[in-house]
Amino acid sequence: MPIVTRTLVLLALSLYTAFAAGPFVWAAMLSLRTTPEIHLDHFAFPNPAHWEKFPDAWFNSNYATYFTNSLQVVVTAVLVLTIVGAMAAHCLARYRFRLNRIIYFILFSTIIFPPQITIISLFQILVNYGLYNSKVGLTLVYVALQLPLTIYILESFFARLPADLFDAARIDGYSDWEIFWKVSLPIAAPAVATTVILNFILLWNEFLFAVVLITDEANRTLPLGIQRIIGDTQEDIGMIATGLMIAIVPVIIIYAFFSEKLIQGMTAGAVK
Amino acid sequence: MPTFRANLLRGGVRQPWGTIVAFLLPAITFYVALTAYPAVRTIWNSFHKVLPRREEFVGIANYSELIQDEIFWKAVRNTVTWASVSPVIEVTVALLLALALYAKVPGARFLRVAWFTPVLMSYIVVGILWMWIYNYDWGPLNVLLRAIGLGKFAQPWLGSPDTALASLIVVTSWMWVGFNMVVLLAALHSLPKDVVEAAELDNCGWLAKLVFVIISLIRATLLNLVVLSFIGKMKIFDLVWITTKGNPLWSTETVSTYVYKRAFEWTTFDLGYPSTIAMVWFVIVLGAVLLLTWLFRMREKLEY
Repeated sequence: MPIVTRTLVLLALSLYTAFAAGPFVWAAMLSLRTTPEIHLDHFAFPNPAHWEKFPDAWFNSNYATYFTNSLQVVVTAVLVLTIVGAMAAHCLARYRFRLNRIIYFILFSTIIFPPQITIISLFQILVNYGLYNSKVGLTLVYVALQLPLTIYILESFFARLPADLFDAARIDGYSDWEIFWKVSLPIAAPAVATTVILNFILLWNEFLFAVVLITDEANRTLPLGIQRIIGDTQEDIGMIATGLMIAIVPVIIIYAFFSEKLIQGMTAGAVK
Repeated sequence: MPTFRANLLRGGVRQPWGTIVAFLLPAITFYVALTAYPAVRTIWNSFHKVLPRREEFVGIANYSELIQDEIFWKAVRNTVTWASVSPVIEVTVALLLALALYAKVPGARFLRVAWFTPVLMSYIVVGILWMWIYNYDWGPLNVLLRAIGLGKFAQPWLGSPDTALASLIVVTSWMWVGFNMVVLLAALHSLPKDVVEAAELDNCGWLAKLVFVIISLIRATLLNLVVLSFIGKMKIFDLVWITTKGNPLWSTETVSTYVYKRAFEWTTFDLGYPSTIAMVWFVIVLGAVLLLTWLFRMREKLEY
């Protein structure tokens, strides 16, 4: 490539990189500065860095509550999803029966449902059963929401396992449940890890169902809490930025450790 | 090696119904209670007036009201614009970036992470961040414009009906380009090396190589990404809700935000009408996805 074209390409890529990463870097800078400092200059480097803003945001608003709620709801939902999804996926991949492909198709096809198709009636249903505005209700809805994708990813993995493995396990006297629990699941650990990470991030960021199904301050998840905080403190940019960083941190940590798994999960549906 | 699927097709395994039911029951219970039943109830709702204490059959009244609902059509136009523009921008930019990484530009590892990161953040975080970026007085965008002498173009980006929708489209592109890029990069790396090298030896110009060789080889992935992005934008809610709530003057109203407003914000207290919107929209989205897939199939047939 001629040197001019090369320079132009590199310049364009650098500009795009600034565009893609800039907002995040800027928010990180804001999170370490106080609001009066920010009003003097919105783009200055944090000097000195106010690390104390993090414990401050954590203890002086309801951040700890929101964070714990999110953790409870998301961890429980992911746990249930993994077991329920893996059981179904194992069954659909392992056993031959008449309705097999029909059940698979029905479960899988809901992946294209827009959320509005269920959200209004879910509101009615949860109100009827006393699960409206409760973490249990939200957790159950989250499980149902992510079940199709989980089954899809796990089923395609289980279906590739050699049948001999299971015949051998059966000859060794394993029951159906033991085959699932002691043979299938351990071998599928990489695929299971993918679904766990993917579900965790998607549900951690989930907003629409939370905003419809939760109203109490005590039950708010993190996205709702942040929305509440910006409603209350429009002007306190510094504190909001600190709150944003706290919300991002778990996701960034997961990404740092499991980026390959995460990308596999996110691209599972997109590449055939 | 025989796989389960092969066994499934070959047959010969007995059907232990008790075990099968035990394994499937939890998943099916969740599906029936929290997906299938709500969906059916939405259909039922759409033919009723659903007030907090009573329900009343109204036939197709909700549907005929919908046809005359100007806000609904405004929301449809906004959403369809979003869903048609976004896939084009996202996939094009992502392809260029993926090609740059494929050609091993310096710092590729770092660049891949930097470009991918936006998609990890929730729409809440992204929304707040971009409200600041678009801020009239001190937002980086206007500050930048003023600094390079284009101050007359500085404006309240999300506050003006002319620019609000476009500004939000930029935000979703910013978020999703990285995701598309990663998927395309995976597709590029799975290309047979000899084909790309053959094109190199034939001394095609790089543009010709790009268009005739690479794009035609990864077309399936490109089309999948277009459909995926399209579906995502047809149901967009979070970003709009955090930033503009559909304002100013309905200029960023999407079908999802309108459904939410009619169900839970307006004091009509009727859940029937918003259910009707959801039903009609579901049929439209489904139809559009089927049409897109069909069109892409047709083109494939024509070209070979």
